[in-house]
Amino acid sequence: MFGKKKKSVQNKEEKQSYWSYVARQFKKNKRALYSLYVVMFLAVIALLADFIANEKPIVCKYEGKVYMPVFKQYAVSLGLAKWPTAFKNGDWKDKQYDFVVWPPVPYLPNNLDYKSRWVGPFDKQDVKSKIWRHWLGSDDLGRDVLSGMIHGTRIAFMVGIIAMGIACIIGIFLGACAGYFGDTGLELSRGGLMLNIIGILLGFFYGFYSRSYIMSDAFGVSFGKAIGAFFIGILIFLGILIIVNLISALLNKFIPFLAKRVAFPVDIAITRLIEVINSIPLLVLILAIVAIAKPSIFLVMAVIGTVRWTGIARFIRAELLRVRRLEYIEAANALGFSQMRTMFKHAIPNSLSPVFIAVAFGIASAILIESFLSFLGLGVPAETITWGKMLAISRTNPSAWWFAIFPGLAIFITVTLFNLIGEGLTDALDPRLKQ
Amino acid sequence: MFKYILKRILIFIPTLLVISVMVFLLNMYAPGDPVYSIAGIDPNSSKPLSPGAYNAIKKELGLDLPTFYFTMSSKAYPDTLHRIPKKEHQATLSRLINSYGNWDEIRAYHKSVEKMEVAVLDIPRDSLNPKALIKIKEKVRDLYREYKDDKIQKNFEITDKFITSTPSTMVMKDLIDETKANYAAMVNNPTKWKTKVPTFNWYGYKNQYHTWFSKFIRFDFGKSYQSKRPISEEIGERIFWTMLISFISIILTYVIAIPLGVFSARKKDTTADSVVTTILFILYSLPSFWIATLLIVFLCQPEYLNWFPPYGIGDPPSDAGFFETFRIRSYHLILPLFCWTYGSLAFLSRQMRGGMLSVLRQDYVRTARAKGVEERKVIWKHSIRNSLLPVITLFGNIFPLMISGSIVIEILFSLPGMGQYLYQAIVAQNFPVVSTIVMMAALLTMIGYLVVDILYAVVDPRITFD
Repeated sequence: MFGKKKKSVQNKEEKQSYWSYVARQFKKNKRALYSLYVVMFLAVIALLADFIANEKPIVCKYEGKVYMPVFKQYAVSLGLAKWPTAFKNGDWKDKQYDFVVWPPVPYLPNNLDYKSRWVGPFDKQDVKSKIWRHWLGSDDLGRDVLSGMIHGTRIAFMVGIIAMGIACIIGIFLGACAGYFGDTGLELSRGGLMLNIIGILLGFFYGFYSRSYIMSDAFGVSFGKAIGAFFIGILIFLGILIIVNLISALLNKFIPFLAKRVAFPVDIAITRLIEVINSIPLLVLILAIVAIAKPSIFLVMAVIGTVRWTGIARFIRAELLRVRRLEYIEAANALGFSQMRTMFKHAIPNSLSPVFIAVAFGIASAILIESFLSFLGLGVPAETITWGKMLAISRTNPSAWWFAIFPGLAIFITVTLFNLIGEGLTDALDPRLKQ
Repeated sequence: MFKYILKRILIFIPTLLVISVMVFLLNMYAPGDPVYSIAGIDPNSSKPLSPGAYNAIKKELGLDLPTFYFTMSSKAYPDTLHRIPKKEHQATLSRLINSYGNWDEIRAYHKSVEKMEVAVLDIPRDSLNPKALIKIKEKVRDLYREYKDDKIQKNFEITDKFITSTPSTMVMKDLIDETKANYAAMVNNPTKWKTKVPTFNWYGYKNQYHTWFSKFIRFDFGKSYQSKRPISEEIGERIFWTMLISFISIILTYVIAIPLGVFSARKKDTTADSVVTTILFILYSLPSFWIATLLIVFLCQPEYLNWFPPYGIGDPPSDAGFFETFRIRSYHLILPLFCWTYGSLAFLSRQMRGGMLSVLRQDYVRTARAKGVEERKVIWKHSIRNSLLPVITLFGNIFPLMISGSIVIEILFSLPGMGQYLYQAIVAQNFPVVSTIVMMAALLTMIGYLVVDILYAVVDPRITFD
């Protein structure tokens, strides 16, 4: 489109790709650009939360030896190292170090400090020195608010990114199938259609039904194991589908009746599915699912992801409906590429841009939903400190105004930043503005 | 257009059916045994329901029926598993079937455990020391729950240890031996291949889903676990407040948002526009549960400003006149209404501004201006209609937004509406109420979309169904 035009006019900009054009457009929008910078800054805080707010020193010299406890914590939790006996008991801050560098906030969100309960940011605090001050106050057990805010950033970002990651995978795949194949594009032989229906049932039976106890037991052990078990289920499912299709290809050669091709209405099926999911108000659906399951932050992410994909799917469907009529797709088909290859290698990469808009807004809403759930005390386990949970404390003790202000402000700012980025992307990708 | 509307309505039905199946599944996977919940008895208490009472409630709830029209299961599963009374037993049996696959032996084992449970009550008190008796009772009950080999063996060891050979415990001892023999038979003759053979069972319309859904469309939603009252009655008491506040809020939203959007679009690129746009954007991003919290903390508490009541809808005295009631109610509803409205207001104004801007760019508007039509007329007569089109569609989106909003605001301000009802039900694990409200919310949303689609087709004849 515009890329070609520019090429002929200006040789200098020969390397101008579509994305650098979008980046240039995006940079023109100062609000969105600065929002992106702030989001990056927050992402760094989320990544380095353990080094910014931790009960352990970053570097310390204890009984003649130098340790780096924060790093060591990672090794220990991975099972690569063990704590020396000197550190096994007692509080980190009561030890006599020869030399110590504390993190800027020397508390974990769960650390108790009975000497300073309900202290406000401006109150006089009973602490050893300035670095032990609770800069943003503390709660009924003396837990530090600033530390909770920093570790809450990590959870908010994780929720946003993982939830939208799941949504992207489902949304892009289903949306692309709907848009690319439409109602007539996916043709199957009669035999293939029948065998595929049987194959889906069999795949479900062997992949999930007969393994349901293995999966639910794995879920009881850890979330990672559950994902692993689920993944094996998917592999079995796909394996059966592949076998079934091989059989149908074989059958088609011998029985001409089965070889007659019929179209499968992919688009209708997927748009109906989208309509079904959109018909249940998002929050109601999420609340209902969270109500019956055991509290887990990963479950919250998974639920938000599996519910929020419809927006992405709609965007990409609309885009692919347009793209599939373009010449280069026809060329790819004429060259005899398989449909899947054309779709994944050529059609989808050229229609991803609107997805970014949906993802930016989606992250904002995922963070909002998670905060609200933890605000209500649903879905998030008791020991996980999140922004929403801290905000909820202000309802039990209204005089602790710092709980009403800071966590809410954090949610608001993060959500606004992602919304601003979404707006900036919309403007940068909107073809109307190019005229 | 008639054909379009007909098609649109026809599509409504399968969507509703699919949603109802989803909600039914949610209900099925809910933890706990509904029979105990409706009876209000803790299944682990010392006085569990008698089998007769249990079965009576189960039958009343229709839980003795198969779950769905058909099921797909393995050959190892009998098609009569749903007739086993207790949900807990069903779960254990299902586990055993999954690991051994021989239903006849499993059934024999289960029956002998059942016999043990009855026999254990018949043991005279003085024949065993009380501690041993309690231990045996406990272990017999545990057998219902255990499906892992090592745990069951351990149970047997403990019962063996505590049972002593006196004439009065002979029956029990024999039963324990019988159970052990049945268990051994079950473990030693597994037919695990049966679990790998899929089967398809057809049950017909006499099933739990069919009963539940046909009752639902007749507004019979079952009983609440908490109050034991019909859910439809409780909803009837609460839906008024949700409807009232949503209705006021929607009207406020449209009345303010449309002129505001038009104003902002007309003054594009002026200070006034940028101020309005910025404020709208901030309002749009402000989480309503934060704003509500701030308002409650800083405007409704004696610590700061005590201007408004923090919760409820007020309690006007019974002899209060209309105006007095109105005054008390509105005093209570001002803050909730504000929190409920500002988000959708900002959303709609921004959409209106965008719609108006794209219309003002059109040629026919330039033509109208060129031929000297007054600016006021250009906006309110020529442009507004076309820019209202997307705003009509948004009515469909506002509906689910309102339902979600009602949850947030009603919980925070303790308003006795549907949102608060849902929240209370979730906290108390009151699943019939949860599924009813999910279904109703879905139904209302779908009707909202349907009405919007039909309206749209009426307003814009170019729309066709594809």
